[in-house]
Amino acid sequence: MKRTLFAALLVWMWGSLPAQEYSNFAEQTNRLNTLAKANPTLVTLRSLTKTNGGKDIWLLTIGTGKTENKPAIAVIGGTEGSHLLGTELAIGFAENLIKGSNTDSIKNLLAKTTYYVFPNMSPDAMEQYFSKLKYERNGNATQTDDDRDGKLNEDGFDDLDGNGKITLMRVESPVGDYKMHPDDPRVLIKADPSKGEKGKYLLLMEGIDNDKDGQLNEDGEGGIAFNKNLTYKHSTFAAGAGDFPASEKETRAMLDFLYDAFNVYAVISFGSNNNLSTPIAFNPIAARERILAGYLEPDAKVNMMVSELYNKVTGLKDAPKNVNTGGDILSWGYFHFARFSFSTPGWWVPRAKPDTAKKEKAFTIEDPTANYLRWAQQQGISNTFTEWKTVQHPDYPNQKVEVGGIDPYVLTNPPYKMTVELVKKHTDFLVKLAGQQAEIDVLNVKTEKLANGLTRVSFDLVNKGGLSTHSKLGERSYFLKKLKVAVKTNDKQEIIGGRKISLLSSLDANSSQSFSWIIKGTGKVSIEAGCPTAGVKTIDLSL
Amino acid sequence: MKLTIQIAIASVGLWMGTSAMAQTPEQMFKAAGSPVNPKVTVTWNRYYDHAGLGEICRKIAAAHPNLAKFESIGKSYEGRDLWCLTITDFKKGDPARKPGMYIDGNIHSNEIQGAEFALYTAWYLTESFDDTKFIQELLEDKVFYVIPTINPDGRDSYIHKPNNPNSPRSGMLPVDNDGDGLIDEDTYEDLDHDGNITLMRRKSPNGRFKIDPKDPRNMVQVGPDEKGEYELLGTEGLDKDGDGRVGEDGYHFQYDPNRDWGWGWQPNYIQNGAYKYPFSLPENRAVMEFVMKHPNIAAAQSFHNAGGMILRGPGGQEDVNTYNAADLQVYDAIGKKGEEFLPGYKYLVVYKDLYSAYGGELDWFYAGRGIYTYSNELWTPYLMFMKEGSRDPFDNPTYSFDRYLLFQDAFVPWKEYNHPQFGKIEIGGFKKNFTRAHPGFLLESDAHRNMAFSIYHCYSTPKLEVQDIVEKDLGDGLKEVTAVIANQRMMPTHSSQDAKNKIERPDYISLTTSGKILSGMTVENRDLNLTTEQKNNPQTIEVPNIPGMGAVTVKWIVQGGGKYTVNVDSKKGGIVIGSK
Repeated sequence: MKRTLFAALLVWMWGSLPAQEYSNFAEQTNRLNTLAKANPTLVTLRSLTKTNGGKDIWLLTIGTGKTENKPAIAVIGGTEGSHLLGTELAIGFAENLIKGSNTDSIKNLLAKTTYYVFPNMSPDAMEQYFSKLKYERNGNATQTDDDRDGKLNEDGFDDLDGNGKITLMRVESPVGDYKMHPDDPRVLIKADPSKGEKGKYLLLMEGIDNDKDGQLNEDGEGGIAFNKNLTYKHSTFAAGAGDFPASEKETRAMLDFLYDAFNVYAVISFGSNNNLSTPIAFNPIAARERILAGYLEPDAKVNMMVSELYNKVTGLKDAPKNVNTGGDILSWGYFHFARFSFSTPGWWVPRAKPDTAKKEKAFTIEDPTANYLRWAQQQGISNTFTEWKTVQHPDYPNQKVEVGGIDPYVLTNPPYKMTVELVKKHTDFLVKLAGQQAEIDVLNVKTEKLANGLTRVSFDLVNKGGLSTHSKLGERSYFLKKLKVAVKTNDKQEIIGGRKISLLSSLDANSSQSFSWIIKGTGKVSIEAGCPTAGVKTIDLSL
Repeated sequence: MKLTIQIAIASVGLWMGTSAMAQTPEQMFKAAGSPVNPKVTVTWNRYYDHAGLGEICRKIAAAHPNLAKFESIGKSYEGRDLWCLTITDFKKGDPARKPGMYIDGNIHSNEIQGAEFALYTAWYLTESFDDTKFIQELLEDKVFYVIPTINPDGRDSYIHKPNNPNSPRSGMLPVDNDGDGLIDEDTYEDLDHDGNITLMRRKSPNGRFKIDPKDPRNMVQVGPDEKGEYELLGTEGLDKDGDGRVGEDGYHFQYDPNRDWGWGWQPNYIQNGAYKYPFSLPENRAVMEFVMKHPNIAAAQSFHNAGGMILRGPGGQEDVNTYNAADLQVYDAIGKKGEEFLPGYKYLVVYKDLYSAYGGELDWFYAGRGIYTYSNELWTPYLMFMKEGSRDPFDNPTYSFDRYLLFQDAFVPWKEYNHPQFGKIEIGGFKKNFTRAHPGFLLESDAHRNMAFSIYHCYSTPKLEVQDIVEKDLGDGLKEVTAVIANQRMMPTHSSQDAKNKIERPDYISLTTSGKILSGMTVENRDLNLTTEQKNNPQTIEVPNIPGMGAVTVKWIVQGGGKYTVNVDSKKGGIVIGSK
């Protein structure tokens, strides 16, 4: 009975029973269409382009009224095709937000803020998870010659043990640089020659040197990876990056949209980069380089503030260290788009405590795979490790070759059932972040008659929000509109003192600036103040 | 198809008719180095708008069907075609497999003569083919891709709308320059309606300018202790949006098409003029796609103005090491030869001799695609009196050149105007067609010289030959077959930047024989027999490069055999075959 009630509650909450597994592209498309059709006043869905694999790049716009006139947050999932959680966080956020759209708090939020949700920037690559051969793929369906030898896809992975997954391969070798983990012999770790350690294994990805060029799996169905294809510090010529930045349709579709979306003040992306668990520290030397390499100081402070908010709301701890690879969305969002930019993997394997009942001890050597296996066992997750098994390998005819290891995807994507809680936490974060957005107001409006037909008009322009109207870097970019204060007079009025149009680069959080004019004439005058990233306020006055 | 040919024949007949009406062949005497009675008559002492250029391209292709093909490689923002002439001897070899020379002009809207210079090259090659053995050989070996203007919207706007010599630099894609949310709300204004945006001056007791005693049209700054008579109020315009600035948001400088390319690209806060991302402008995107589809392009030239420069990259100091020593040898040899051809032009490096510029076309061609590329800044004041002059447009040589050689045709005389914001002012100054564009009588000669530079550049692209095939009997029915593949020109098949990053695939040297190929190897030292075996697919040996003015040696071990054919297949070096 209780269970039925619970299920009924779920049906009511979700519209349907929650799935037990990540959605493939067709299912994602279904979820997006369902959401848009059921909520036409709040949600619009459009396709920005189709990838070379023929898949739509969807954009959900969530908001009310003229969404393009409200400060906006862009939420980007699927920045890496192997990160299914990211697409789930983006779509789940949209679903959760809409679910709460009858509450006053969400109504108020959507009256002031627009969300642009890009649920999946890597739909081609993501489908590898659902295909017969699973391996962590980030590249799209564009044909690439990864080793640049003039031949396409001549040496990809090979499923030697026929289990439908590409795992690891270890080769016993006197020149091997890997050894067994002292606490878990299933796991291989690098031997440290400086400590006199000697390795026993070569550790490779499962496969054969199909083209006999001495390199293993160096040119499979590579494709271009979205999170390497953006413009900041692009690794031109590196596998998966593209021959030049923004070479891919999906990359350009997103950039074209966002560069015209002057109302976007923050970009939140889900992927391997992380400046939410630990903010990017201010580095005065990097911040002065001609090709800017570090956050400007005020922007680093914003990162710190938003990171605190993220950690408080999500309660996520012990995140792996952030590594920026170049060409990534996190860096692009700040360094090239000049908006506040944040990224998080959304989840990582929690640090597993030793089970004293089983006489486990803390690991003598920290290793993500060893930690995962311990954590998975405690969670009752099984079948994610393939025991090492000897195979006959044509490239190593006289050596012992074994295939095994942990499954692809498991280190960065939690079991699906855990995503419900993660979506909720990240929805909370995205809602609370909007609560900090810059908001323009006009206070202390005064009209003083100086003489017949001569009036002094003055007011204070205020930013009530927790964020500045523009990032510090955004003040330098012409893809952000200035904060404009414009006086609209009729032909019988004349501005004697003060500027008809004032353009400000920015207004800091919780700060104000005074304006005054001397206007000759009578009748109505209207003053418009604001900018797309902070909203526009209009006041009408009588002289 | 038939219809096209008929039209073509009819058109050729029409021009021949026209030229016959003007002059008969007997009445003409050939001047050395110029076609005496060209099939397509072009007047080279004037400029053509986009439609005019297209018309000339079409005529060249129709008159020389075996030497020229005409196509559009894409559309501009406003929908104009980007016209391309492919010039080669179509009767000999596959054009797509000949080493290619890419030439474009006019990437900056106001830098118009690049289009005429590029087109002159196409015209000259086709019209001189019959008379000139050198050109016959050149077009047998090489292919030219000539795109006179890669910015046709900007070109037409420069020609047909009010402008000054410096405007517009942009194409026509609208941009909100001042970030006020409005687009092009305060552009230049041609107050005197003469098609030229000139200068505004006003008599003022506190002005810091006076009339130049040597030429009253010129304004000169007074000394620090001197009283002036005039103030300069900038270029012709109004404050249309009432923001206290004159002409601050027009279409003239909204972005720079030469900061939009896919190497070292930087956003606009670092590199002024950059747009959204590399190739975010449709014209450049079309060029990029064309270049990617033509891996045979080994050399490239873009024409700009002004200043008399043969420029190479890098545009940014960060790329100093990208332009490595091996490639600089080639660059320097060609660039210095160019200085000899081009009086008043200097061979210079962008980042240190001009200014720092990220995302430029020449950097993408070289660093992104491995193509040796120059940008020439056409026109130099040197050409006025054949001596070094000042580059300041207000300098007197400019005025005296206009006075004595152009008879004051290049100047709009000062005249009074009643300005709504400035009151009584005067408007005048040089027309848009002078100070950066060539005056008519110097256009053809400088176009010819710059073409000669391109031809030398193109001539220097790889020319491969199977120099030698030697068979040696190893006994037991085994033969060793050694082949030497030579490159007779200065450029390697892979620039060093190309080889380092494997931009283009290796060159393939394959052996065809009736025998069985047991092994293939590259030979590092033939005398000492130092070799490296290629175990996979020994029939086709892959070599990373065939050096300029050098050779590579390969050998095979063959069982049986007899007749040997060696085929060399190089993306930038072309295809050659040798047999023994």
